[in-house]
Amino acid sequence: MSILKFLGKRLVLSIFVLFGLSLLIFTISRVLPGDPVRMALGPRAPEWAVENMRAQMHLDKPLYAQYYYWLSEALHGDLGQSLFTRRPVVQDIKEFLPATLELALFAGVIMALFGILLGAVAGRYSNTWIDNSVRIFSYVGVVTPSFVFAILFLLLFGYILRWFPTAGRLSPGIVRPPVITGMVTLDSLLTGHFAALGDALWHMVLPAVSLALGGMAQEARITRSTISDNLRKDYIASAKGFGVPEWLVTLKYLLKPSLIPTVSILGLDFASLLGNAFLVELIFNWPGFSRYGINAMLRKDLNAVAAVVMVLGVVFIIVNILVDLIVAWLDPRIRLGAERGK
Amino acid sequence: MKRSLLILAAGLVLLAGLSLVGWSDGGGVLRVTFAWPTYIDPAVGSDFSSSSSFVNLYDTLVYPDTKGDPLPHVATAWEASADGLTWTFHLRNDVKFHDGTPLTAADVKFSMDRLITIGEGYAFLFIGRVASTEAVDQYTVRFHLSKPFGPFLSTLYRLYILNKKLVEANIKKPGPYGDMGDYGKAYLVDHDAGSGPYMVKEFRVEEELVMVKNPNYWLPIDPNAPENVRFIGTTEPATIRTMMSRRELEISDQWQPQEALKALDGINGVDIAAFSPGTEFYLMINTRKPPTDDIHFRRAMAWATDYQTVVQHIFPGAIQARGPVPQNVPGADPNLFQYHRDLDKAREELAKSKYANELDKYPVEFHWIAEVPDEEKVALSFMANMADIGINVKVVKVPWMSVVDEMAKEETSPNIVSVFDSSHYPEAGSLLESRYHSSSAATWEQNEWLLDKKLDAMIEDAITTIDRTERFAKYVQIQQYIMDLCPTIFLFEQVEKHAYQAAYVDWPVAQGEINPVMGYNMAARFIKVYPDKRQKLLGG
Repeated sequence: MSILKFLGKRLVLSIFVLFGLSLLIFTISRVLPGDPVRMALGPRAPEWAVENMRAQMHLDKPLYAQYYYWLSEALHGDLGQSLFTRRPVVQDIKEFLPATLELALFAGVIMALFGILLGAVAGRYSNTWIDNSVRIFSYVGVVTPSFVFAILFLLLFGYILRWFPTAGRLSPGIVRPPVITGMVTLDSLLTGHFAALGDALWHMVLPAVSLALGGMAQEARITRSTISDNLRKDYIASAKGFGVPEWLVTLKYLLKPSLIPTVSILGLDFASLLGNAFLVELIFNWPGFSRYGINAMLRKDLNAVAAVVMVLGVVFIIVNILVDLIVAWLDPRIRLGAERGK
Repeated sequence: MKRSLLILAAGLVLLAGLSLVGWSDGGGVLRVTFAWPTYIDPAVGSDFSSSSSFVNLYDTLVYPDTKGDPLPHVATAWEASADGLTWTFHLRNDVKFHDGTPLTAADVKFSMDRLITIGEGYAFLFIGRVASTEAVDQYTVRFHLSKPFGPFLSTLYRLYILNKKLVEANIKKPGPYGDMGDYGKAYLVDHDAGSGPYMVKEFRVEEELVMVKNPNYWLPIDPNAPENVRFIGTTEPATIRTMMSRRELEISDQWQPQEALKALDGINGVDIAAFSPGTEFYLMINTRKPPTDDIHFRRAMAWATDYQTVVQHIFPGAIQARGPVPQNVPGADPNLFQYHRDLDKAREELAKSKYANELDKYPVEFHWIAEVPDEEKVALSFMANMADIGINVKVVKVPWMSVVDEMAKEETSPNIVSVFDSSHYPEAGSLLESRYHSSSAATWEQNEWLLDKKLDAMIEDAITTIDRTERFAKYVQIQQYIMDLCPTIFLFEQVEKHAYQAAYVDWPVAQGEINPVMGYNMAARFIKVYPDKRQKLLGG
């Protein structure tokens, strides 16, 4: 019951957050210099063509009226037309978002799995050469932007060693699976296109690892630090004293509570993967949502900009709610605290 | 643990094997990178990548040769009335659209009407000029102009003929064009309706346009012309370099920086094709704002500019411009006066300026486009050049959108803006009108704010002259007139550079057969690709 109440509260709050976000991005995108319609139609387009397009997009109305139109249409599932792709923004989102979500999910799995693993090993063997190696890796990982890894991997594994493909989601000769979710790996799996599945995974390796390394390094540092702190706590000593097997102490009493800060950060890191993906998508010619969003901003594609920010806002909110739920599951004190507060 | 590692390794090997199947695609394929967006609707696009796609997907009434002159294409013959107001074209009767429908005069009329009604893309070439289009009979089409327009034939390179029946069948209603609904715009986002040598196979927005050879094209196509053409939406240098070295890309885009081109040139079998696309880099001077409103001040700047440093070190390979029209654009004056750096002459001119004794009070504001980093080097070089004669230049980096906003009003236009611009159809008249006619003031194509009625009349007179020789003579006079006003520093003609796989691609451009109309150099039917030579390079 308390969890449902918690979820209800968060959802109500989220509506306010999204409303504020929509107001903010709507205003900012419209007060920036430059006429988006003129940009889209070119300098020689006749004024009547520009005016027609402005009228179609309600840009000839006052700002509050524009917001009213945008909001009422958005609530009906219509986010308007993109000035540059010349398609409904909803169609663009359907096409580009799954590509980035797929990439971010793979990067997220790599980030969580290897980050926690490295941190756990380093924490368990703190102040040994293993710990030092993980520390060096973490420092490098945290300070190096994803696009640097992307270029390095592209040149090393694509250009010199030629182990991995370097552009796009599928090789030209591969038959694309029918679109179900828009995620090529999942669609390939669901429809039994295993050649496409293999090829899609192979295409994913370099961009996903490039994207994951920064977060992975951060998770490793946090996990290591919490584990080495908890290792010195009395309850661990007493568990050992009671003769609880070493593996059980490590997995149940040491790792589980140590993951709470990691999971909290993991949520934020995952959400920020969507934003960080831009340069990685550019380098690997990945037709994703982040690249679409940045291009929309550079071209002042008003409807696309608003839609991208709103979708990212929704993803952030969902991820943060999920993180709170996982943390509550990991830490009984939070659950109990919530129940006491009923 | 060991077992898991073994499973992982086996999985990776399997995936590698599968991926190699994909890499084997490449025989008879021409892959070119472009800066997106690419539009395949001829009533929407007018940029480089869109123009390149139109050339492959659609046919036109006339086709430009390497001098920009019109050759018969879908039209076998044409005639203009004595007053230049009526142009009649006789069409071939064997041209078919990709779906097999015969191309007729009704399709030409539909294409022109649609273009003018939508008003986007290349419509500006015809709006206000073409009053109506008439399908006289099945294979005769007639254009009625509202006023004579000499370069009309050259503008027809941009009238791409659409399949009326197919577009009409795919119109969405309601739409912004009344009875015509959306005029097929939604359909033409990712479908073609052409009769050209290639057809759309797949179109993935912001990613790739895939075209296949039209097996029923009405003109013979060389068997070595590519079977598949892929326009890939990336200009990222590291990606281009990797794709080139793996022979997964045949021709690069023209946006690669100098360092990247050097690296590409170093790849075995890859060469750089360089040619002048008819684009010029102008320092547009505001002639209505102090101190650049003074002609002697402007001339002093023109004499003090170090052109050679720019063309040799900042944009290597570029050539110093000779006046407002690039030399490969028909109608350019090859004998026009050209400034060079001469500080004595610069000081002499400056002394005649009304600002000569108060230079410190009148700094010159130079705005360069933030999105083109090399422009900063030009701006700094110019600042140093002007310091030699005591002119204080303030260099400002401005995003493109802000520049467009600034140039929309006389009072906000800076003293100088550096901008690349090119002709819209292959004749000097295009640039002369779009750069210096009063109608282009307040657009990014003119920071000069000349608003010179005499010049306007000269330009209008020239472009309404039907006789080509007479028209070109008038273009020369206009260029001389502009030169005397010194409203611009004509810095250099851009050289477009593409890396290409010289070892297995025959690209006419690289042999010097350059078409002056944007996009036509990417006509894949003239490009030959040899998959066996590619295979040899790959060591297969």
